[in-house]
Amino acid sequence: MMKAGNRKSHAGHSKSSDYHRLQRLWSLAGRQRDGVLRGILYRFAQSISLGFALVAVILVVETTGEGGLITPTDFLLVTLLLALSLAGQLVFGYLASANSWTASFQVSRDLRLSILDRLRALPLGQHMPQHRGDPVTLVTSDIKVVETFLADALPRLAQAFGIPVVAIALLVWVDVGLAMVALVSIVLSAPVFLWSSRRLAALALRRQDLQAEASARMIEYARGIAVIKAFNRIHAGQKSFHKALIDFRDVSVRIVHHLVFPLIAFGVVLTTGVPLPIFVACLRFFDADIDQNTPTVAIVLVFSIYTPLLSLIGVMEISRLADAALVRFDRIMMQTPLPQPCFPSEPRGFALKFDRVQFAYGLGQPVLKQVTFEVPEKSVTAIVGPSGAGKSTLLNLLPRFFDVDDGAILIGGVDVREISAERLNDLITVVFQEVYLFSGTILDNIAIGRMGADEVDIRAAAKAALAHDFIMALPDGYATRVGEGGSRLSGGERQRISIARAILKDAPIVLLDEATAAIDATSEREIQRALSHLVQNKTLVVVAHKLSTIRHAHQIIVLDQGGVVEIGSHETLAEAGGLYQRLWRRRLQSSNWRVTDANLSAAK
Amino acid sequence: MTTQAGESQQVNYLASLQLFAPHLRGSRIKFVAAVMLAVIAVFLELLPIWAAYRLLSDAIVGELEWPEAIKLVSFTAVATASGFVAMGSALALSHIVAFDVIYRLRSALARHMATLPLGLFATRRSADAKRLIVDGPEQLEAVIAHGLPEGISAVASWIAVSLWLFAMDWRMALATIFVTPISLALLAFATARGGRRMAAYQAANARMNAATSEYLAGMPVVKIFNRTGESFKDVSDAVCDYARIETAWGRDYLPMGSTSQTLALANIVFILPIGMILLQAGSLDLGTLLFFVILGATYSQPLLRMFNQLHPIAHISTDAMEIIEFLALTPQADIGKPSSLAHHDVTFERVCFGYEGKEVLRDISFTAKTGEVTALIGPSGSGKSTIASLIPRFHDVQHGRITIGGIDVRDMRLEQLLDTVAFVFQDTFLFSETIAANIRFGRADASDAEVAAAATAARANDFILALPNGYQTVIGASGHRLSGGERQRIAIARAILKDAPVIILDEATAFADPENEALIQDALGALSKGRTLIMVAHRLHTTRFAEQILVVADGSIAECGRHDDLLTRNGRYTRLWNDYIDTGTGMARSSDGGIAS
Repeated sequence: MMKAGNRKSHAGHSKSSDYHRLQRLWSLAGRQRDGVLRGILYRFAQSISLGFALVAVILVVETTGEGGLITPTDFLLVTLLLALSLAGQLVFGYLASANSWTASFQVSRDLRLSILDRLRALPLGQHMPQHRGDPVTLVTSDIKVVETFLADALPRLAQAFGIPVVAIALLVWVDVGLAMVALVSIVLSAPVFLWSSRRLAALALRRQDLQAEASARMIEYARGIAVIKAFNRIHAGQKSFHKALIDFRDVSVRIVHHLVFPLIAFGVVLTTGVPLPIFVACLRFFDADIDQNTPTVAIVLVFSIYTPLLSLIGVMEISRLADAALVRFDRIMMQTPLPQPCFPSEPRGFALKFDRVQFAYGLGQPVLKQVTFEVPEKSVTAIVGPSGAGKSTLLNLLPRFFDVDDGAILIGGVDVREISAERLNDLITVVFQEVYLFSGTILDNIAIGRMGADEVDIRAAAKAALAHDFIMALPDGYATRVGEGGSRLSGGERQRISIARAILKDAPIVLLDEATAAIDATSEREIQRALSHLVQNKTLVVVAHKLSTIRHAHQIIVLDQGGVVEIGSHETLAEAGGLYQRLWRRRLQSSNWRVTDANLSAAK
Repeated sequence: MTTQAGESQQVNYLASLQLFAPHLRGSRIKFVAAVMLAVIAVFLELLPIWAAYRLLSDAIVGELEWPEAIKLVSFTAVATASGFVAMGSALALSHIVAFDVIYRLRSALARHMATLPLGLFATRRSADAKRLIVDGPEQLEAVIAHGLPEGISAVASWIAVSLWLFAMDWRMALATIFVTPISLALLAFATARGGRRMAAYQAANARMNAATSEYLAGMPVVKIFNRTGESFKDVSDAVCDYARIETAWGRDYLPMGSTSQTLALANIVFILPIGMILLQAGSLDLGTLLFFVILGATYSQPLLRMFNQLHPIAHISTDAMEIIEFLALTPQADIGKPSSLAHHDVTFERVCFGYEGKEVLRDISFTAKTGEVTALIGPSGSGKSTIASLIPRFHDVQHGRITIGGIDVRDMRLEQLLDTVAFVFQDTFLFSETIAANIRFGRADASDAEVAAAATAARANDFILALPNGYQTVIGASGHRLSGGERQRIAIARAILKDAPVIILDEATAFADPENEALIQDALGALSKGRTLIMVAHRLHTTRFAEQILVVADGSIAECGRHDDLLTRNGRYTRLWNDYIDTGTGMARSSDGGIAS
């Protein structure tokens, strides 16, 4: 689904013209527009300064062309023009770069900040999926491409047009007719340029899609190599890998074939601009319409018209990359942030209520259907059910990682959507299955739990989470730095740090997603004891896998295929003859599992 | 320019050349042709200037003749057009060569990958695989398709133009070129001056990247603890810092860098005064002066082009080095002969193993008998998964030996070894193909009925049939995500279909919730009959009835025996068991007290 969506937005975008892209960038430039504009104008002024040198050339031709001598005044004039030209080029060139660079650095800074800001306003559920790499690339490298476009490509655009404009203006001064002729090839090449740049953009998008698909297959080979080898399927594996490789190469080659012709066409049409005016100049010279200096000047000027325009091909490449980056930028910026209440309400108490809650991820199948249940304050509720029943999703709706599609979730009688985000987060602690530790010290990582907590509080929380002892055994104790993602600690130790964090926060509602992944029994026991300190006197909702948790819950909600099928205590449900009883029986059976022939035949 | 600042200063320009040279075989003629066409193209670009010079000279002395003018103008038209055709063909050819070379390099990487010990891949993540197979080779495109042909043609053009200028008039030639070395020197100064900020720049860049990925990865935690303000401040500080340093770098670089750029385009300013003096002195004609004006105006451009082409080559050197190092890794020795195995007992004889200088396993000896279940248990990091992975030679042992049916695994043909052993991995890897194709991976020629039978045995048939497309459901597509337990059951079906005599389960139920675990255990029961079953597990009730339990601690076997025997010893196993009972299978104790106490 995600894929189809992306493709659609690609297709939609490829239709928009180059003009729209510039317009979008212009609107994004915000406060830096002046700087960007100044950069372009100074670059233009630099081209005009170069024009003074061309005027000097014309002067020399006019004076000496018919055997005349250069007077000291002429010499002085020419030298002055050249000095002016050089000074102008140096000064304006510097100002152009300084403005463009500074502006582009600031634009990219602003773009980065606005994506980062937008990301935190989005429902959390939207960045939990696997594609976390995407926003990181967007913030770092994609924005860099936009920066290069602003800093280099746009000014080069000014230069590509600036010098020809100056040269044509001079040609008008010398002979209007010739100037018109010189314009012919530019006018003719414009549609070719637009056609080829659009074609390049369309093909590049197709190439991106096809190549993304082929590279996914290549990466799969590399990632699956252990399985491929363990199942002795190297030959078959390499065959599909090769097919991916060949597809990749063929797509690329086909695109080159498609591209070469438009590029050659643009170059050829544009550079007819060299022989054509020369030809016309000669023609008129022989008809004695113009003096002999005019063709001379025309020839000199003509050469400075077309070379800069050819550099548009290079600009086209960068602008295509910047375009793709902007598409990805907009993909994030166009997502709707989580709505916040205008007049937040304050919950009365910490009882929870799910009232006919309906939810689906995106446009997919409903994950929760008409879920209704209540959780009294300071009670323990266990959610159980087969995998895929929607247990974790249910938990994620309370802190608004996603919003419900229909129905409501209430805390203390107030819809969670009517509580301010800050207050809601104050009320709820979530202990995630996967623990994320930041790259600071252990102290920092626990201190996140409560603003302004002092070291005494932090140590107390760590002690309650049974983390104090192993922390003290580390080389720097609480000041030990954890690597990014907390890689230097074992899974059990990381869990206990996250529990210490939650204990420090001391929120009245605790949501716990019990880890399904098995870890060794000793660590497991420590975690259990730490958790028991966290959940005392709290409203606890737990997605439970452990028998002890389930048995001690005040109420058990049994979910199946997104709906509540049973509610009750362990004692009543275990005898009720429903899904819970079946699950429970199976659990007991699994505890007694044994590999025997008898077991085997029983299983059949 | 702005993006060039990020590169480290130590680059091996030759790395990328070294990387692709061997894979050029088969495309050499095309490549040489591409380079030659690129050179021809730049020479064709010069011809109109020659024609213009002829026209000018004739016009100035008033001797321009109509037929001559027609000839020169058409010559110009033909030369420019063919110049573009040559350039276009050069680009097309060089791209095709680039894609062919990349194709060959990737094939070589894939072939090489298959020969390496599998243990090497255990630590590689998807991002590494992407860099190695996709991104790294991809960057060669810039070198082969643009860098070399354009760099070489730029040099050729620069040499030709220089020679031509001197042949025309050495004084004017000097006037033309004299500003170029100044421009280059300024560029070098500017780079050096900007370079002083390089360390700070790179640090800011690294900090911004790290802060961004931490900001995003830690978002759930940050939000739930109401710390978005602080965390946003951290990352925005990093972003602003980066912009500040970039700006400072620009301020240092620009005065000389921009002067250098301007001078490179300003030769005309120096050509004209010298020309005037020489003209006045009568030792230069106007035609020649204008020739210098036209050709001299672009004199520095080939050099600038060359420098621009060096940049991507430097850019890819790090990735190229990484690929070269990867290709240099020693393949796993496969010198064994096919041998017939009388039985499938797996025996470890005084096995020692370590990597990166760290001892992981010490003096491991045991035998896992055919038809029996051998369980490896112990705390995380004790080395039990490593023991399991040594059997199919994911790594080779350093001391001692491992035998299957009495034959050293290193003396078996690798293919036979891998046919003998079925390994169910802890992280279930499924290909993004249909479920049927994933199961059939166990045995390519299995019929649909056999695939379904294996799935049934792995207790996967029911949930597969409940999916909208059943066995034809494509993994990872259409938003349907299989749970960890479901994935593991597919992996087990794959192993059942393989029908190998030795089965190794590396925490094959670790990610399953208890409901699924019960189902999976039934499936494993189906697997084990008449085979050697070795399982690594944390949930001790799954291993309780094993014929042999090996308790692994700190890289060696601490205890060994059956569940009941081990409990009576009151050692490590007893402690682990008691912890285990305390943590949640309390039910097991009450319903099964006879065994637990």
